[in-house]
Amino acid sequence: MDWDPDTQAMLKVAAGDKQAFAWLFDRHHASVARFAYRFVGDAARAEELTQDIFVKLYRHARSYKPTAKFKTFLFRVATNHCLNEMRRGEYRVARLTEEAPVEDDAGAVQMPGPDGDRPDQALSGRELEAAVGLALKDLSDRERAAFTMCRFEGMAYRDIADALEASEAAVKSLIHRATLAVARRLEALQAGTVPARSRA
Amino acid sequence: MSCEHEEDLTAYVDGELPPPHRARVEAHLGTCAECQGTERLLRLTVARMAELPDFTPSPSARRELLARVDALPPTWRERFAQLLKPGVLVPSAGLAGLASLAVLTLLVAGRTRVEAPALEEWDPGALEVAANLELVEDYEVLGLDSSEDLEVVESLHELGMP
Repeated sequence: MDWDPDTQAMLKVAAGDKQAFAWLFDRHHASVARFAYRFVGDAARAEELTQDIFVKLYRHARSYKPTAKFKTFLFRVATNHCLNEMRRGEYRVARLTEEAPVEDDAGAVQMPGPDGDRPDQALSGRELEAAVGLALKDLSDRERAAFTMCRFEGMAYRDIADALEASEAAVKSLIHRATLAVARRLEALQAGTVPARSRA
Repeated sequence: MSCEHEEDLTAYVDGELPPPHRARVEAHLGTCAECQGTERLLRLTVARMAELPDFTPSPSARRELLARVDALPPTWRERFAQLLKPGVLVPSAGLAGLASLAVLTLLVAGRTRVEAPALEEWDPGALEVAANLELVEDYEVLGLDSSEDLEVVESLHELGMP
């Protein structure tokens, strides 16, 4: 059968080929690291998680069945690992920048406003990052995972459903809720303040 | 209150709706100002995500990962494969064969050994002989199986005869 290059490499890894493993790492490392970073919101932890995910991939290569796309399989491993780590409490979703805003006495988050006073002015990269980080923090783990795979990895709903072991309808709902929550957060930021929690 | 079509809007923006469903949402958008506003907001948000700074992993990550993989303890499969190598398998098989033979021999010997009768089944004369073995061993007397024979031996002993 004609497997795609990723699948061929993974089958070689299953047979103990470390060069094939290094090749897969080079191809997918950045994606997994980006996913982990958006998931936990901390660069050092994201690096740690990424290493753990690839070690897990190597150790369990023999159980890989080339029935799904390799990237889907990889993100299933990545998602499960991140979710497990979150549940074990080793990792907490951190704010994405050191300049992330803090809650005031009234429970509202004071965000750095957009440069200048015009609400329609574009946010700077750091402001946007802080706002998105806070919005992602408010999401459920599965919403955050689905949103991250969709928005930052460009994965199709079908593949995200495979990675999350969920139905496509569930993924559609997760992505909609997550995107709308982020949208509302950015919209509120444009207005100057962001509610402490966008969801009950 | 949210419109019943609202949850389809993100999938619509993402191009994830099948054609008939997409057509229904498009028709609805033509008449619903609320959904038009939400759609614009969703499109803007999706576009903004592309503006986020990319996360760049550490350049040493590859080296660190490969070092971790090299340091992993072998799996049971790897250990088993190692045992099947001829250089290990042949001597190991020889040793295992010898060990098996030894175990088998012990088992066979154990099974062929005559079980001693229980103490109460012994002949009283033989018991007495057994109790006086120290006395008997000084004499080359074979076939002692009764107390009478023992009395003979005892008499010989008292007479100082070997």
